[in-house]
Amino acid sequence: MTPTPEHIIQIVNQIVAKRGTSVDTAIPILQDIQQEFNYLPEEALKQVCKTTEIMPARITGISTFYTQFRHQPAGKHIIRVCTGTACHVKGATRVFDAIARELKLTSGQETDADGLFTLETVACLGCCTLAPVIKIDEITYGHILPEKVGEIMQDFLSKNLNTNHKQATSRITNSKSLGEIRIGLGSCCVASGSEEVKLELEKVLNESKINVSVKQVGCVGVCNQVPIMEILKPGQEPAFYTKIKPEEVKEVVLSHFQPTGFFNKLRNSFVSSFEKVVVDGEPKSFRKYTSDQRDTPISEFLGPQMAIASENRGVVKPCDIEEYKAGGGFSALQKCIGELSPQQVVDEIAKSGLRGRGGAGFPTGRKWQMVKDQINKEKYIICNGDEGDPGAFMDRMLLESYPFRVIEGMLIAGYATGAQQGIYYIRAEYPLAVKRIKEALQICKENGLIGNTVLNSSFTFHIRVFEGAGAFVCGEETALIASIEGGRGIPRMRPPYPAVEGLWGKPTLVNNTETFSLVSWIFRHGADAFANTGTAGSKGTKVFALAGKVNRGGLIEVPMGITLRQIVEEIGGGIANDRKFKAVQIGGPSGGCIPASNYDLPIDFEELAKVGAMMGSGGLIVLDDTDCMVDIAHYFLSFTQDQSCGRCTFCRIGTTRMLELLEKIRNGKGRSEDITHLEKIAESTRQGSLCGLGKTAPNPVLSTLRYFREEYEAHINGKCPSGKCLPLITYNITDDCIGCTKCAQRCPSDAIAFKPYEIHVIDLEKCIKCDICRQVCTVDAVKVM
Amino acid sequence: MIQLTIDNALVEVSEGTTVLQAAALLGIEIPTMCYLEGHSCHPTCMVCMVKDAEKGNFFPSCAMPATEGMKIIATSEEVSEIRRDALELLMSDHVGDCEAPCTLTCPAGMDIPLMNRLIARGEFEKSLEIVREEIALPLILGYICPAPCEKACRRKPIDGAVSICLLKRFTAQDTKRRNSTLLPNITKTGKKIAIIGTGPAGLSAAFYLLRSGHECTLFDKNEMPGGSMRYDIPEEKLPREMMDAEIDGIRLMGAIFKLNQPISPDFFENEIIPKFDAVILATGNRNKQAVEDFGLDVNSGHDIANKKTFKTSRPGVFACGNIIREHEMAVRASAQGRIAANEVDIYLKTHSREKKFHFNSTFGHLTKSEQEEYLKESYISNPVEPDGGFIAGFNSEQAIAEAKRCLHCDCRKPKSCKLRIYSDQYGVNRKKHLGPERKSLTKSVHHNLIVYEPEKCIRCGLCVEISTKQESLGLTYVGRGFDVRISVPFNETIAEALKKTAADCVNACPTGAMGFKEADERMK
Repeated sequence: MTPTPEHIIQIVNQIVAKRGTSVDTAIPILQDIQQEFNYLPEEALKQVCKTTEIMPARITGISTFYTQFRHQPAGKHIIRVCTGTACHVKGATRVFDAIARELKLTSGQETDADGLFTLETVACLGCCTLAPVIKIDEITYGHILPEKVGEIMQDFLSKNLNTNHKQATSRITNSKSLGEIRIGLGSCCVASGSEEVKLELEKVLNESKINVSVKQVGCVGVCNQVPIMEILKPGQEPAFYTKIKPEEVKEVVLSHFQPTGFFNKLRNSFVSSFEKVVVDGEPKSFRKYTSDQRDTPISEFLGPQMAIASENRGVVKPCDIEEYKAGGGFSALQKCIGELSPQQVVDEIAKSGLRGRGGAGFPTGRKWQMVKDQINKEKYIICNGDEGDPGAFMDRMLLESYPFRVIEGMLIAGYATGAQQGIYYIRAEYPLAVKRIKEALQICKENGLIGNTVLNSSFTFHIRVFEGAGAFVCGEETALIASIEGGRGIPRMRPPYPAVEGLWGKPTLVNNTETFSLVSWIFRHGADAFANTGTAGSKGTKVFALAGKVNRGGLIEVPMGITLRQIVEEIGGGIANDRKFKAVQIGGPSGGCIPASNYDLPIDFEELAKVGAMMGSGGLIVLDDTDCMVDIAHYFLSFTQDQSCGRCTFCRIGTTRMLELLEKIRNGKGRSEDITHLEKIAESTRQGSLCGLGKTAPNPVLSTLRYFREEYEAHINGKCPSGKCLPLITYNITDDCIGCTKCAQRCPSDAIAFKPYEIHVIDLEKCIKCDICRQVCTVDAVKVM
Repeated sequence: MIQLTIDNALVEVSEGTTVLQAAALLGIEIPTMCYLEGHSCHPTCMVCMVKDAEKGNFFPSCAMPATEGMKIIATSEEVSEIRRDALELLMSDHVGDCEAPCTLTCPAGMDIPLMNRLIARGEFEKSLEIVREEIALPLILGYICPAPCEKACRRKPIDGAVSICLLKRFTAQDTKRRNSTLLPNITKTGKKIAIIGTGPAGLSAAFYLLRSGHECTLFDKNEMPGGSMRYDIPEEKLPREMMDAEIDGIRLMGAIFKLNQPISPDFFENEIIPKFDAVILATGNRNKQAVEDFGLDVNSGHDIANKKTFKTSRPGVFACGNIIREHEMAVRASAQGRIAANEVDIYLKTHSREKKFHFNSTFGHLTKSEQEEYLKESYISNPVEPDGGFIAGFNSEQAIAEAKRCLHCDCRKPKSCKLRIYSDQYGVNRKKHLGPERKSLTKSVHHNLIVYEPEKCIRCGLCVEISTKQESLGLTYVGRGFDVRISVPFNETIAEALKKTAADCVNACPTGAMGFKEADERMK
């Protein structure tokens, strides 16, 4: 239903009254309008121009720049197919195609005829271990099989009908608690069903009248084993239950605690569920491990790790400030303000050897010093939480699980550099992170940690949150600043560096979320302790999102210098499904592939650069022998090409031409001179692009060409050695076929004739290579050639 | 003050000076497209790249502040290569023709669309002048030219080609107009040129040499001038009075005709070589005799003259027309006569070489939708047929009506477009990075002053900056990445967007994406 012009004007006026009329309110205003109408009606944009300082050119420029904004009405529900790296290697494209078929969408059409569903892709939902993942409105579905998408949509519609009646209760007792049960509620945990486990747990405890405190903790990191329930009972070793299902909760709880009639019931409304999840295809039975057990998946997974940014993970409740303080929280800030001069703070950071965790690894101490040295009184601190890489979600985890730690880091930076204003720039795709940071900021204000007199000192610091509107390039600091100023996220030339001329032309410190989250630890344990960890040039730890073809994926924090082999074999538990390790893609679209021959490479900034990769923000996708490197290069390049701001020639046209050549090669239409041509454009795009996005965009291509050139050549000769590139493969049914007709029934393109008890045949002309026949075949008779 | 070196030359500049400005102080020219003095500098085109000799990286010089001790390389093969890369990438996304297909097909390279527009506006004298820039004998060629231009005409597949050949003849049809404009202001050089042969090549050479102020003597073995045109072409195709009328014009310009004068080797060596400053051989027949009679050597390609400069092995002796290659069209011979005349000028140091673009952007056939776009600038009407048939030709009304059918396929800035200038200068291969499909060309003609062709745009953003400063609507970027384009907010027309700044935008636009509807045609 189209809103009436009167209604639009009224709503816009309300929004403008709330947000203000200056130019920098443009993005928040557009976000509010879209929230209201689910798209941006032109009348609304015109009304904004009438009532604010925002000009038509600006509003058009920004509303067409950011992917978040929609100019056509969307369907009632939005299906987002995650196209992150892990999802890609696990078949996200086929999932997307299957949904498009289910909705009968024609090419380019996004919303079905009934206006019920709109189909979109999303760069990464950060549930890499559940790949492939889709999200329908707020419900996330993991491990999607193309043949099941119809059922999933039915499931969603039935759930959606009942959703209004869902009201959970929580219990708080004033009697002695018999123990504690912890449940991880980071986005990724929630996405795997921990919310439902928690609801079930509440129900069981209520019904059984067991008095145990239930604690909602941040991301546990062990994403491969989620949902995880940890039971702590005095006198017993803590017990972990992994991959637990709601229906299993009762049994688990009763095995630890006896039901009791002694209770004092206080009704309390439970924070309504933020996200709900259904996981398809997960093993039914849970597994139990106690913490004294050796060689459990959890102990192996956690063993080689070291928690600094993710200190106390799985233990602390994200927005519990008392608990954060009890663990030493804000003592670092207290120490800095009370005992150290700003210069001493900067010196300590410099001494720690900390380097920026956003990817490039610029020495943090030097950056702080640059901002501190600026005589301008007005300075800004920006926390870059615009984590847009497919396959990376550590910033999200840190913001969601340790909001106070990130805030403390920023406050210390503010004190050290003499800034008074801080901004959290967080992707709008991370609603939980935004919510938690806002909540934490409010608590900090109430506790005198943010404001005119921080911790009763003369240090003044204010923090606000800015929600990014969906543009990967805004991870580049100058683009990010342009975005906060209410413009298109276009990077500009450096120098001048933001440290000298940043937000509103004022000195601005831009640090990555992870960088800030390491600061407090450094002051509590000393710069030396931090510098003693890691390698000569790269100190401390790095958080990675480990995903892809490993047995155990998840968020890991490891000391710099750890080898790739340790990460994959020890933490990740080796390659899944007995396949062979082929390479690791590290650093996302800016990074490169490291082949098996470099399995013992110690991971730090320098070593990665040497092999043609880079730290990036920390996505680490493990590839096995079924992954095609041309396809991987194509995947990353199509991401950067799509995310290019379009400003400079090399990035705008260079990445496009490279992508076209890769497409040609992937389709088996390439010629050998195309490889050298590709290399040539890659080289000039690397040299000639203005910002980091363009300069690093060719890396996935250059690094795969460096280590896997023979795969490119094979494609030129018409073969995809891994059987991944659709134009180069065909589906066939072998003599093993028992004539069960399942494939014929499910084939969406009628390429298989229905012949009970006969060997089925695929009509290659009609076959769309959706892989469904292979998935439904019970005797493995469908083969890819 | 800051000291830095560019191409090993030391320069001292004040704080805030860019590398580009510093280079300019040294007289080092760096190409720029998106940069315009007085506007905010936001590098997009990346053709002003230079190299930092110490760090080894490349950067756009327009936006890089000079710093103490910088060592910049602004001139090297490596730097040229990255600039060429940028230009070649821009060209791969540039849908537009520098010159119209008719002009490119014309052996003389005549500016046909401009002639058409001038005729359409009734400016017949100007149109004749445009024709004569390339064609000395429009009246004669207006009868006998096979008109390859009309085969290339973009209007041909729509409803028939524009009758270019007849229009060209029309410009020279009127005797008074033809003869009153023969010699613009000229200064006599005192140089004497001998032209052997009075066919299209010889007459054409004479026309341009006379215009350069030289004294021309034309020799012909026949009793009448005209060569093959008189002796090979039947009267019903080329009325003799028309031919004579145009040759009379050359006589009027001061040419001396020595007819019935066969050129023997003796005559050539004694009466011509010593008595003239330069000689043009335009005898029309290429045989061994010709070579030997004039004492010429043949080159490695068995030609008696260089194909570009028409120089022979003898200094000061040039050869053009069918003497160097037989059975060519008269229009080609005439074109060669003009080039040979220019080469004589260069040889005599009386003029410098004409500046010609070697680089041409072309994009091939128009699609159906593109034909519609092109028709926006033209009249929808079927070809005009002359009342008295081809020989009678057009009257003024018919000529105007037919000229209006021209689609304006040529670029509005063929001489000032920086993309073309630099592509020419850097030897760009426009096909190097061509993608699998080109964008569909569009023309926005709503504005009464300007035409906007987005597919020629390099997204420099100058027009966005200029317009948004003064207009309430202005222009804006729409979209992102490869698909970003410059457009008008809220789908309004460009007329609404540019009420004050249209001319400024055209002048700032580095390509032909924005051009004046009625450009100052001579300045293009």
